[in-house]
Amino acid sequence: MLALDIRHLNKKYPNFQLKDVSFQLEKGYIMGFIGANGAGKTTTIKSILNMIHVDSGEVYVLGRSMAEHELELKQDTGYAFGGIDFYTHSRIRTLTSVIKKFYANWDDDTYNSYLRRFKLDENKKVAQLSTGMRVKYSLALALSHGAKLLILDEPTSGLDPVARDDLLDIFQELVAGGEISILFSTHITSDLEKVADFITFIENGQVVRSCDKEQFKESYLLLNGAASQLPQVRKQLIAYKSNSFGFTGLIHACDFDPSSDIKAATPSLEEIMIYFAKKEDAHV
Amino acid sequence: MYNLVMKDLKLGVHPAFFVMPLLTGALMLIPGWIYFIVPLYFCWITVPNMFGQYKAQNDLLFTSMMPVSKLDMVKARVAVLAGLEILHIGLAMIFGLFTNRLYPNMEYFFFPPHMGFWGLCFVMLAIFNLVLISMYYKTAYKYGGATVASITGAMLFAVTAQWLGIRSPLLLDIFYGDGIHNRGLQASILIGGIVIFIAFTYIAYRIAARRFLRVEV
Repeated sequence: MLALDIRHLNKKYPNFQLKDVSFQLEKGYIMGFIGANGAGKTTTIKSILNMIHVDSGEVYVLGRSMAEHELELKQDTGYAFGGIDFYTHSRIRTLTSVIKKFYANWDDDTYNSYLRRFKLDENKKVAQLSTGMRVKYSLALALSHGAKLLILDEPTSGLDPVARDDLLDIFQELVAGGEISILFSTHITSDLEKVADFITFIENGQVVRSCDKEQFKESYLLLNGAASQLPQVRKQLIAYKSNSFGFTGLIHACDFDPSSDIKAATPSLEEIMIYFAKKEDAHV
Repeated sequence: MYNLVMKDLKLGVHPAFFVMPLLTGALMLIPGWIYFIVPLYFCWITVPNMFGQYKAQNDLLFTSMMPVSKLDMVKARVAVLAGLEILHIGLAMIFGLFTNRLYPNMEYFFFPPHMGFWGLCFVMLAIFNLVLISMYYKTAYKYGGATVASITGAMLFAVTAQWLGIRSPLLLDIFYGDGIHNRGLQASILIGGIVIFIAFTYIAYRIAARRFLRVEV
């Protein structure tokens, strides 16, 4: 079953456009939603949540149309927006007492167990929590109302490596049962190397590719060669960097001739992102 | 909608603004003062602070993420605003009763606090709501222009009503003269004011709801 099914989203702004954005997330998996700043990640997430009016396209959450069943589906969905805080001068206890009234399936026992697990003190104000603890608080809220789909926009931004690793472990535990699915937008690709099952890569408002993480990485090759070898592949390269030793460039795996003597390796997610951004820059 | 009202009351409105009506209401005890100023304190102080708090705390995004309809979001906000206004006027009216007892022979230059005057206060707040609510929901977070325009509208009404009340013999009689002893007339002005307050606030809600449906968060 699909936890999230995005079909042909289009949204035009004066200086930016989402173009035919489509991808699917299977139930029980983590999907990394990657792209440079301004690529369209947050706009896509806001479209999913019906916060902006798309020009065309459809969003299905847990098999039902978001446009038609927004309120019911929001009962089953949890969100965390990294870097955006709400009512920071309120105590967690007060904020929770307000929020829980909106959710039909709220479970106090689950909430208290997550508070203990995340070591959250209800008497603290939101402003007194570290960035990582705020994300954990958002997760505790989402899981206490039985959210089946977690949409997390840059949840690990601003966290130190230990806090990030801790959070990533939690994400993996959550999906282990097969009931919860996570769409996780970030530009910190190393996080996704650790936890993501699928990758959706968005660039300049368009989905470049959405598939299994390993398949995604293997569909590109990072070439390393001497300057004299560059002309052999220049036309096929997505983008490349030259230096005094030669060149490094990204290529679609299918465009590469394995009999060539240019060194080729599977790129990291970060390298893929960087070379795509370089390609965009070259077109500006 | 009830949960949204409680959300605004618990998170969005600072507790000091629930005490404010008592403090501003007590200003009614100043003999012969410009009593229009008492409900205007709500417009000058409470509203900019409340709406500033909503903006600073990202209330629009916070509420939009929850399973609530946009119409309920507007309805709840309007209910909270109108509720606080009624609290302000209600307490000021109670203090006004004491004022009339404390200073029975007072020569008033500005409107004395009788029922008819409170009817005018309701009309003033009706104008305030119509401008504020309908303008604010063009964006649902920018409140500066809406606040300035609505306060200007309310004050223009207050100044005009006060000027006419002094200059017009008919109005002078109704609000200062024998008219203040005519309970039926006074009550009908008060009821008329309340009806206008309800009607304008409802119209403001309808305009705001239509505009808010087009707002992108």
